[in-house]
Amino acid sequence: MIGTLAHGAILVSLAVVAFGMFFIPFAIKRGRRDWVALAYSAVYTNFLLITLATVAMVWALVTHDFSVSYVAQVGSKATPLFYTIISLWGALEGSILFWAWVLAMYAAAVVWINANRPGNLVPYAATALMGISLFFGILLIGPADPFKPVFPVPLDGPGPNPLLQNHILMAVHPPLLYLGYVGMSVPFAFAVGAMLSGEVLTDDWIKITRRWTLSSWGLLSAAIIAGMWWSYEVLGWGGYWAWDPVENASFMPWLTATAFLHSVMVQERRGMLRLWNLNLVVGTFVLTILGTFLTRSGIISSVHAFTTGTIGYYFLAFIAVTLLVALALVAGTSGRLKDENRFDAPASRETVFLLNNLFLTAFMFTVLLGTLFPLVAESVRGIKVSVGEPFFNRMSLPMIVALLFLMGVGPAMPWKRTSMAELKGKLLPPLIGATVMLVIAVAFGARNFYALVTFAFVGFSGASNKFEIWYGIRARHRAHGENYLTALFRLMAGNRRRYGGYVAHLGILTVALGIAASSTFRTETEATLKPGDSMTVSGHTVRLKQVWGREEVQRSVIGATLEIVKNGTVTGTIEPKMNFYPTSQQPVPTPQVKSSIAGDLYANLQAFRPDGSSATIRLIYEPMVPWIWFGGMIVVLGSVLSILPTRSRA
Amino acid sequence: MRRARQGLVALSLALSLALILPRATAAQQAPAAARDTQMVTPEGLRSNASAKATDPALEARTSGVASGLRCPVCQGLSIQDSPSELSQQMRSLVRDQLAAGKTDEEVRAYFISKYGEWILLEPKASGFNTLVYALPILVVVGGLGLILTLVRRWTAVPADGDKT
Repeated sequence: MIGTLAHGAILVSLAVVAFGMFFIPFAIKRGRRDWVALAYSAVYTNFLLITLATVAMVWALVTHDFSVSYVAQVGSKATPLFYTIISLWGALEGSILFWAWVLAMYAAAVVWINANRPGNLVPYAATALMGISLFFGILLIGPADPFKPVFPVPLDGPGPNPLLQNHILMAVHPPLLYLGYVGMSVPFAFAVGAMLSGEVLTDDWIKITRRWTLSSWGLLSAAIIAGMWWSYEVLGWGGYWAWDPVENASFMPWLTATAFLHSVMVQERRGMLRLWNLNLVVGTFVLTILGTFLTRSGIISSVHAFTTGTIGYYFLAFIAVTLLVALALVAGTSGRLKDENRFDAPASRETVFLLNNLFLTAFMFTVLLGTLFPLVAESVRGIKVSVGEPFFNRMSLPMIVALLFLMGVGPAMPWKRTSMAELKGKLLPPLIGATVMLVIAVAFGARNFYALVTFAFVGFSGASNKFEIWYGIRARHRAHGENYLTALFRLMAGNRRRYGGYVAHLGILTVALGIAASSTFRTETEATLKPGDSMTVSGHTVRLKQVWGREEVQRSVIGATLEIVKNGTVTGTIEPKMNFYPTSQQPVPTPQVKSSIAGDLYANLQAFRPDGSSATIRLIYEPMVPWIWFGGMIVVLGSVLSILPTRSRA
Repeated sequence: MRRARQGLVALSLALSLALILPRATAAQQAPAAARDTQMVTPEGLRSNASAKATDPALEARTSGVASGLRCPVCQGLSIQDSPSELSQQMRSLVRDQLAAGKTDEEVRAYFISKYGEWILLEPKASGFNTLVYALPILVVVGGLGLILTLVRRWTAVPADGDKT
């Protein structure tokens, strides 16, 4: 019943969206702004209808309405309410519905915020957004229909994928990811709008686009970090990034969006790189769709890949159409874009931005190539190959260290030209920072070449960005006599974008530091313990107290209680578990992590004797892992700072 | 101005070198994870389970080989990282074969004969597979060349001269 209603809502929304999409260009041709306003109501109506369908799905999930196909697929009466609600994005059809809803929300927000803006940029952008909505609407009535009627109605369902109902971060990571990922549709829509309306010749559209890109970028950054955190807390191997295709899929648009956020400054300052920036915006969007295709079509296996079907062909067709339209528009525009094409001197921030863009896009290319290569190799040679972590680490490390270095050089380099004297003065603190970090790393026993370079460059760029903020504070202190704290706040408020950028840099550097330290100094050990036995990893001793079992509503749990022993006294316990779900033959590892600012003690239950006489424990000490999550929060803070409008300068 | 340009050339050279270096240093990439397993019973006696971990050199080699082999039942994890039972068995197989005197390469060849090339987490850089290593390097080197040319051209334009 509710399924039919929701299905109907989606059908109507398709008609509404198709109408709006074709009516807006028509209204513009006729010069009728009132018709455009009418078409905007199609955007709002679509949002309402998709909201209705989404609410209906949540309702069906919560009430265990197994006559709805999606509920029959992922629901179960035993699943706790919380995990029932978030199973909305736990499988293919629900996630497409959620995607359509986020997209409809963005479209409504874009139109709402910019409704009174003169010119044809926003109407055409709305057209593009409705085009994308149309595609997702077609998926929802075709290959990803979540509201298919089921008959006979089953009494109960299997419940969500065990991996997805094992941790609370599943409520955080996917929504953030969709908000960031789908948000990249908005800059794309504005790029299309700019090209169709001719506003691409002015740089005003880029200001709107930049802000939307920044917010999506911040959300995507948070989503990627939350995904790392989830994988660390759930998968039981003590790592947070495995270059899994779906991780790559979320990372590639992040790289091109990061490139855009930097090169767009060259366009604003110097009126250059216009064509390049258009390509970055289009490329970022296409990468989000391509990434979804790769992980959702089942052609590449992944932790997150859902069931296969015909949906891959729809995505391929959509990618082809998008590329054709975008390339035709870009080709038509390129002749009209007249760039200034003049640099004052090679040693300038402009040049650093060019290098930054080179390494970010080459990085994206490497990840794309590595992700697709197994497919290519199989079709060319007929032999399956794997392209995994060792490949990606080897190929990306040189680019990562180059980017870490540039992150320190860029802020220290002024626009236009740099005098040697100025540069010398500015380079001193970063060089000291690099030396200090290098000495500390060597003292702790780091010998790996890339690890040492990473630590040095983190020190270099960390000092550089901090000192840029400090120079600003000092200048205010001297000029206005403000105390340092007031100067800091006024500085940030006065030029949010610049200092928000430096804060984001510091966040990324903190993440890099956490990754470098945890992968360099990680120590692990595995042992089979009887109750009373102990094991030690880099000075941390745990003693097995007991192995126990417990029945919960939706699963059975086996746990091992380990006491953390310091100098003969018990200071705490750590309790890794294995969760057995009825639908899954493999138990879901549930490691436990004891975090401190210095590092994590990570325990995973690898195996156990059913009689409780022994347990095999993998115990890992990973220094500075919490710095990665903390760094992610700093990145988000930096992007929030940059998005907020700048108040008039004091 | 000229010094800056020379600096740029030097920088790009250094960076392309840095890209090629990993091949040379690959041998040193063996995991830094020291497996200082020490399992002690309350009486202070070594339990039998720790017997496998008595030789740190063997353990280091084992984890070196194991981190390059793919766990067949996981998604992209190595048998070194994966907590799955199959991976644990494969890991002890690697350890046994190394202890029996096989070289790292021979152990890898054994697994390739069982599972095919797919078992290697990183494709061998020979034949068609070379592409996956060469293309990114070409992109970076080509991009650096392009930037060098563009920056040179753009700085040569006089302040209000022709727009190229």
